[in-house]
Amino acid sequence: MKVFILEDIEQLRDHLATQRQVFTPQHTEGSTELDWLPLTHKTKSITSAWPVLPTYPAKQFFFPDREILFQFDGHAFEEVLPEVELQILFGVRSCDLCAIAYQDQFFQQDPYYQARRKATLLVGIDCKQPCEGGFCPTVNAGPFIRDGLADLACHQREDESWLVLAHTPEGAALIQGLNLQTADPNLITQRSTEESQIAAGFPSAVHIEAGIQRINQAQVPAETWQSMGLQCLACSGCTNLCPTCSCFTSYDRPIADGIERERCWDSCLYDAFQREASSHNPSADAGQRVERFWFHKFSDAYVKTFDRYGCTGCGRCEKTCPGVIGVHSVMKRISGTL
Amino acid sequence: MDATTHNISKITHSICPFCGVGCGIGLRVEQGKITGVEPLTHHPVSQGSLCAKGWSTAYAVDPIDRIKTPLIKENGEFRPATWDEAYRVISEAFSTAISEKGPDAIGIIACARATNEDCYAAQKFARAALRTNNVDHCARICHSPSVAGLQQTLGSGAMTNSIGDIEKADLIVIFGCDPTENHTVLGGRIIQAKLAGAKLLVVDPRLTRLAKMADLHLQLKLGTNIALINGLLHITFANGWEAKEFLNSRCENEEALRAKVAEYPPEKVTAITGIPEEKLISAARMYTEADRAMLSYGMGITQYTTGTNNVISISNLALVAGQIGREGTGINPLRGQNNVQGACDMGALPNVFPGYQEVEEPANREKFAASWQQQLPEHKGLTSLGMTKGALAGEVRCMMIMGEDPVVTDPDQNHVRRALEALDLLVVVELVMTETASMADVILPAAAFSEKSGTFTNCERRVQLIQPAIPPLGEAKPDWQILGELANHLGYSGMNWKSSEAIFDELARLSPIYQGMSYPKLAANYGLQWPCNDQAPGGTALLHSKEFSRGKGRLIPVNHADPAEMPDEEYPLFFTTTRLHFHYGCGSMTRKSPLLERETPNGVLFINAKDAETLAIGPQTRVRVISRRGEVETRAIVTDEVPPGTVAMPYHFKEAPSNRLTNNAQDPVTKMPELKACAVRVINLENEAT
Repeated sequence: MKVFILEDIEQLRDHLATQRQVFTPQHTEGSTELDWLPLTHKTKSITSAWPVLPTYPAKQFFFPDREILFQFDGHAFEEVLPEVELQILFGVRSCDLCAIAYQDQFFQQDPYYQARRKATLLVGIDCKQPCEGGFCPTVNAGPFIRDGLADLACHQREDESWLVLAHTPEGAALIQGLNLQTADPNLITQRSTEESQIAAGFPSAVHIEAGIQRINQAQVPAETWQSMGLQCLACSGCTNLCPTCSCFTSYDRPIADGIERERCWDSCLYDAFQREASSHNPSADAGQRVERFWFHKFSDAYVKTFDRYGCTGCGRCEKTCPGVIGVHSVMKRISGTL
Repeated sequence: MDATTHNISKITHSICPFCGVGCGIGLRVEQGKITGVEPLTHHPVSQGSLCAKGWSTAYAVDPIDRIKTPLIKENGEFRPATWDEAYRVISEAFSTAISEKGPDAIGIIACARATNEDCYAAQKFARAALRTNNVDHCARICHSPSVAGLQQTLGSGAMTNSIGDIEKADLIVIFGCDPTENHTVLGGRIIQAKLAGAKLLVVDPRLTRLAKMADLHLQLKLGTNIALINGLLHITFANGWEAKEFLNSRCENEEALRAKVAEYPPEKVTAITGIPEEKLISAARMYTEADRAMLSYGMGITQYTTGTNNVISISNLALVAGQIGREGTGINPLRGQNNVQGACDMGALPNVFPGYQEVEEPANREKFAASWQQQLPEHKGLTSLGMTKGALAGEVRCMMIMGEDPVVTDPDQNHVRRALEALDLLVVVELVMTETASMADVILPAAAFSEKSGTFTNCERRVQLIQPAIPPLGEAKPDWQILGELANHLGYSGMNWKSSEAIFDELARLSPIYQGMSYPKLAANYGLQWPCNDQAPGGTALLHSKEFSRGKGRLIPVNHADPAEMPDEEYPLFFTTTRLHFHYGCGSMTRKSPLLERETPNGVLFINAKDAETLAIGPQTRVRVISRRGEVETRAIVTDEVPPGTVAMPYHFKEAPSNRLTNNAQDPVTKMPELKACAVRVINLENEAT
């Protein structure tokens, strides 16, 4: 890994924009919402939005809400693979980068996902303060970027200059033309120390830790899941905004000479998610569905495959859930710290 | 093969097009198409949440199945036509009907899903271009009794408080509705308030989600609201729990109400409602003792032949307990469509101009006639059901229906079909081919909410801006533009607006409750709540705080009356209609989502386990449901959520239209049909086969 000093983060951003299309979190005109949008001359500084996460993680760049898989004209199937312009996502936070790494594994054999992913380079930014509802340190997903999860990781220093960590050859190539000065290796050590200090400044997450333990020891009574199931209004908000959720369903739409098959995001909280043609449903009770969702986020069983929990501590589910069963509410309830 | 790149190009902020809660929604545009949505985290109503319908908005306005050009029916088949040709066909038929029968031979149905600007244009088109007051919309079959009832008791028929008041209440009372299904994000705020310590009282014949969470559930028999409330008032007065000072200073006609409720002792009320006396006492105590009690109600109050009296009864209860005029209290009708409040505000009703100004009041007519440069009709017009009746009688010859599907959503489907068939000309303005559109002679393609500018007014009277994310599909146009152009063909040139903003400025000038609003002010504030005028430049979150709109709050004694049709030997079960979280109205928008469509089969009958056992019905058993007006085949869902003796069907599905069964017996004041109660017989079709 090579490390450089950068005076001005906007200088890097604009340099990247000369090479590829750049997307970055920014305020939609006239509003306070933070969204992933194309970089334009109006885009403000990346640091202007601290410490807020964009409404969506970056997953829709690789696993869009809807996409066409193939067309069938009655005789032949024709695959519709996406052709994506080379792009850079600039300013991805650590939690969302961990989630991309998670989905990279899940969609390893998926040509649609991979076509988009391979056209994309990731530039991450270390979070310097906790965001509202975020608990990335508890699930080893931040606040600083894990080695190798971004092509470039940017870190703002006390004096407001930046460290740029080139984790991949593609990342190093991106900044070649900038003639950046190589950084003193001590600065890397300093960065690690600083991460522990920032992590210590996060609000207590004992309810998350205790909840994880209860889930893995199967200590949560069925009634608790049932009462939370009653609060699940089946809106699909948690799964839509969750950076690691990857379930999809497919359906056919009529076109001129046949059909095209689309896939779209699904939600395991829907009653029909697992309902069979006979109408039998192995998870007919909303409580079972809520339990399954949180099992997928916090069970040790998945750590073997993905090297981490299915939750990266972004807290988006808590904000969007109309039924008050986002991650903090659920973990407080099941850990008895409510 | 075309490459499908998925690069976000912009996010357009708008308002969700489904229920009356009015959540903030961002429309994600990729390659000129709306591909997805996002919740707006800072929106004052939705605070970062959306319901399943809202999350599926991209499907609702998807190009697939959309009508993209005007269509004219020839020999039973639709063919594409130019706008000019379509306008000519319509204006000729309208002119003929008017010359033969007069302007009242035409009926206009405005659309509660369209913008205020569209609704304003629809009523102006009827009144000024056609010179009839025959204009109405679907509020007729949802909250017309709220408008009529609360107008009499308080002087204003809208939600008295704001959605944010849910968090300020000590007691939340939910009367005849399930906001977690129909108004999900608002329902979520009730759950949040309950978890934060508020008490919850639910009055519903069904065991709804909120009933399961409630501190007290009054599971009354269908159609016994007035008896219940009179009983609660009897107990309140008997114990001296009424808000004496409030009654003395702010209300009138107390003695008459006392005399009436004296006729409703607990034993009698228990016999009528089925609710045990101790629960009646607890409920009366909870409501009168609470510091702040916020009451919300829905179709379980309004959709009865006693609809207006039911609303009056709700008002009596709140006034006697003094639970109104303060934050965290009030009477709050939950509106069903995104802009049904606005459609009423705009005067898309046969009796009022915009801003609830009576058409029969000469001064109002003069004011609008001067502004619109046209003489205006003097008498009230026909309601929507009056129009279908008029069509069958040959009095109404042409109808123009904007974005509604009465064949699926109005009572007694066979009657509606016959009426529409009897017309000389039916014009439907629509997004997709609905059941009603398929009966039209001319269909005009409408722009979806995501393709136009304008405003929606949510149930808390918040007027909010929407803006186009993409241009109208094909040749589609916003309703106001269609109506303006058609008016020109009919020789009226007073509707040639350049923009929706010009319409808003015109309607704000003419409606005192909107007078202080403008697009820039709405944009700066996440909307404004009416009344907004010189006295309240920042809008009004809370109505009736010092005095009621009519001065004193009027207590009006009302009597219990059974639904028009009660179960009997031939039709032994009570039948009621419901809504599901996953669908909206006739389903023309929500059923385009593969996820929402998968969630519920195409029509279901909810039946209690006891009744199911008697009829040997199990889950998914095929059944036939028969009423005096028609029959429907569907599948059973066995549940404890409906009580024994009562079955229920959602009304969203054209394959199993519950409205083939419903009764169009009507509330005498508002002509609201009794959609909530009739009598049916259920047959197990699988038994029959074996």
